[in-house]
Amino acid sequence: MIQQLRVDGVPTLLAPVTGPAHAGLAFRVGFADEPLYRRGITHLIEHLALHHVGVADYHYNGATGVEYTFFHMQGSAEEIARFLTGVCAALRDLPMHRLAVEKELLQAEANGRSSGAADDMGLWRYGARNYGMPSYPEWGLSAVTPDDLRAWVARYFTRENAVLWVAGDEIPAGLRLDLPGGVRQPPPAPSSALPVTPAFFPSMSGVLVWDTVVPRNAGATVFAGVLERVMFRELRQEGGLSYTAQTNYEPLGADHATITAVADSLPEKQGAVLGAFVDVLAALRVGRIDDTDVATVIKQRVEGLRHAEDQGGRLPGQALNLLAGREVQSLDEVIAEISSVTVAQVAQVAAAACAAGLLMTPRASADWAGFTAAPSRSETVVAGTSYASLEGPDDHLVIGPEGVSLVRGDDIATVRFDACAIVRAWPDGGRQFVGFDGIVVVVEPSLYAGAHGALPWLDARVPPGLRVDHPPRDPSRIPQPQMPAARPAPAGGKALGVVGLVVLIPVTLFFVGVAALLGLALATDNSAVAGNDSELAGFVVLIVILLTLAATCGIGIHRSARRVYRS
Amino acid sequence: MLPAMPDADHVLLDPAAAYPEVNAVRAALAARDWTGVRAVLDVAPPVGRTMLINVGAEGHEVADFLDWVIRRDPGDSAAAAMLGRHLIGVGWNIRSSAVADHVSAEQFASFHDWLRRAELVLLDAIARRPGDPALWVARLTSARGLQLGLAETRRRYDKLAAIDPHHLPGQYAFLQRLCPKWGGSWEMLHGWCREAMLAAPPGALQGTLVAEGHIEHWLEFDDGEEGRRYLAGEPARTEIYEAAHRSAWHPAFRRSPGWVRALSNFAMIFGLLDDRPAAASIFAMLGNLGSEDPWNYLNGADPAGEIRRRRSAAMAAARGIR
Repeated sequence: MIQQLRVDGVPTLLAPVTGPAHAGLAFRVGFADEPLYRRGITHLIEHLALHHVGVADYHYNGATGVEYTFFHMQGSAEEIARFLTGVCAALRDLPMHRLAVEKELLQAEANGRSSGAADDMGLWRYGARNYGMPSYPEWGLSAVTPDDLRAWVARYFTRENAVLWVAGDEIPAGLRLDLPGGVRQPPPAPSSALPVTPAFFPSMSGVLVWDTVVPRNAGATVFAGVLERVMFRELRQEGGLSYTAQTNYEPLGADHATITAVADSLPEKQGAVLGAFVDVLAALRVGRIDDTDVATVIKQRVEGLRHAEDQGGRLPGQALNLLAGREVQSLDEVIAEISSVTVAQVAQVAAAACAAGLLMTPRASADWAGFTAAPSRSETVVAGTSYASLEGPDDHLVIGPEGVSLVRGDDIATVRFDACAIVRAWPDGGRQFVGFDGIVVVVEPSLYAGAHGALPWLDARVPPGLRVDHPPRDPSRIPQPQMPAARPAPAGGKALGVVGLVVLIPVTLFFVGVAALLGLALATDNSAVAGNDSELAGFVVLIVILLTLAATCGIGIHRSARRVYRS
Repeated sequence: MLPAMPDADHVLLDPAAAYPEVNAVRAALAARDWTGVRAVLDVAPPVGRTMLINVGAEGHEVADFLDWVIRRDPGDSAAAAMLGRHLIGVGWNIRSSAVADHVSAEQFASFHDWLRRAELVLLDAIARRPGDPALWVARLTSARGLQLGLAETRRRYDKLAAIDPHHLPGQYAFLQRLCPKWGGSWEMLHGWCREAMLAAPPGALQGTLVAEGHIEHWLEFDDGEEGRRYLAGEPARTEIYEAAHRSAWHPAFRRSPGWVRALSNFAMIFGLLDDRPAAASIFAMLGNLGSEDPWNYLNGADPAGEIRRRRSAAMAAARGIR
């Protein structure tokens, strides 16, 4: 039974739990709220807010996700009260003297993080805005100032934009949530980089990933479960094509959900994985759905819900629902909803899911299967001055008052200043423009005749605020013109160049126990700190429950993925 | 003693000659009577049904009609298989059977467009009726044309084999994919052909796959004498005779659907080997019947004439020996 209360003006959910008490304070802010030129600011605030906790032997955690940021603690009432009170106090007065160090720590954290199979999906579906942000590294960090941080806190880390959950008998005495007042910030409206769906893009990673956005409801969660069962049968058991064949359901905003499917494969089986997956989707789309699968998924979900209710595991999900503007649901209500899902409803979801799908193929086209190639280049070149490439007669750079273009034969990449998400700058003159559509123009003045002279003019036209300056590059990273003969052959258009950058993921890692943590990390970039291994293990269990219940488990963890346009 | 000698001047290439149901399908299609088509298809054995569907797909202007049938009943996989096959055929006619170097970029683009149209029809039908072998047979050919890769083509073949392990039309299609011209290798091809033969019961038509594999290999030699030496050398020669003994010459051999083309492979390969008695024995079994494949490899313009000439020579020699 979940009680709804208010603690210092913060909406609060309280429910009894068997086992240790735990509590969390969540804010409706995450990667999706960040502009690319301040990408990383929420994560940085989360780190600064936890700095005061030090290295004490607590089970605490802070996590920044796509739409939510939360601080979590397991322990005695006193420990919980001290931790959350301290977080609120730190948010009111961030330890700015830690700024430089925490930025470096975040950089180190990013370097140590492995990439996830589904990392690229966001940028291809949404571009370099809102829900595309999880695809991008924390490129804005170096530009974040104390004023930026204070403004971000004032906007997002407020009473009205927070929710508290307590899994325990009562609200811990002495808990003070001294947060500034503000307004509830609704999740951002998703942008689109896909003119047509279903769409596809090829990747060099060798992993197949498909995702879709559907209305958020019980039928969609069952569909995700059924899809996983069918994938497992077709791809793993019967075909022996994939080791892993998984799906994931994650709420998106208040009313939608993202369903993601991932299938790995050996290099020589990739074509078959694609073919089999296309067949699996088509079967579900036309309604050939096994009612045993539906019944089994419902049964598993209900069992999971009951188990989670005992552990207080449903609380975080319900708390986030509250933040998203949804009602808190009792266990019986949720079970009734999921139990009433029919095969026909699942088929309906499947049809909508397929129509909105985005498929990342292992190195192949999927046009034969009814998927349209997602845009990987620009249609037009900006008007302006042309700078010839020192590498080949077909290449040139165009700099104009409205933007920049790179032209290589028929391939065009254009970023317009009025649709630009970030301009990264290096002291050597290197500039990287990323458009809202995810298209990238890298200006390397060393590669174009006369381009160095144009830099001051170009820099002056960059809209204020978009520019992020980076430390000097290692000289070996600054490209020098190569004679055309020595140049690698163009890799068949930009799409291939793009996917060439995607790192082959250690798939095995993906599917062992760590997967639970990684899964969380897709939605909530995890920066867990735990006292010792057994506590960490306990925390992992909690995460699993959290994920299942809040249905926010993810498939990869965010990591750099970018559309780069140059050899 | 040999059966009745065929009329030396007569060669029946029309599949209807061996399989009268072909005419029933053609007539019903011409009358736009799908119920009539289905009446024939639904009682045919699996291989016969696939053959009948393929023959129906050769009809001109069937696309709109089949489209209409499928719109009325998306679950009619016979109509989908026929339409898919028809679209593949249109595409292949545009591509022509020339080697890839002699096909223009425009031809390839159009070829692929037609194959993609076929794929979508077949994908939807398979989603509804995954157990229809004719759909998987068509999909083997479209996969080859679209170069979907060996893994996907093999997956499709495995799906077909799970429904019907010895589905000759699908085996011919998969065999093509294993040829070097489509990205396979001779080793893979011959190995698979022999395996497929041995997996089928003695007397089954599948021995012809071994013959066809060697015909494909023979085709690679520009010089006729070199090609003959290949067939007469080992292991080709031994494999060819083993295959004939296991199918055409086996007591359990039956004239089941597809037998004419199956025997034609042997007739041609024995002709190439200059083993006239062996060729004559096959021609005698065929009587007046023949098939364009594989004879169009020898004479694309006039396969019937080629059969006539080779048959007369073989028969004359056989009579001489007797």
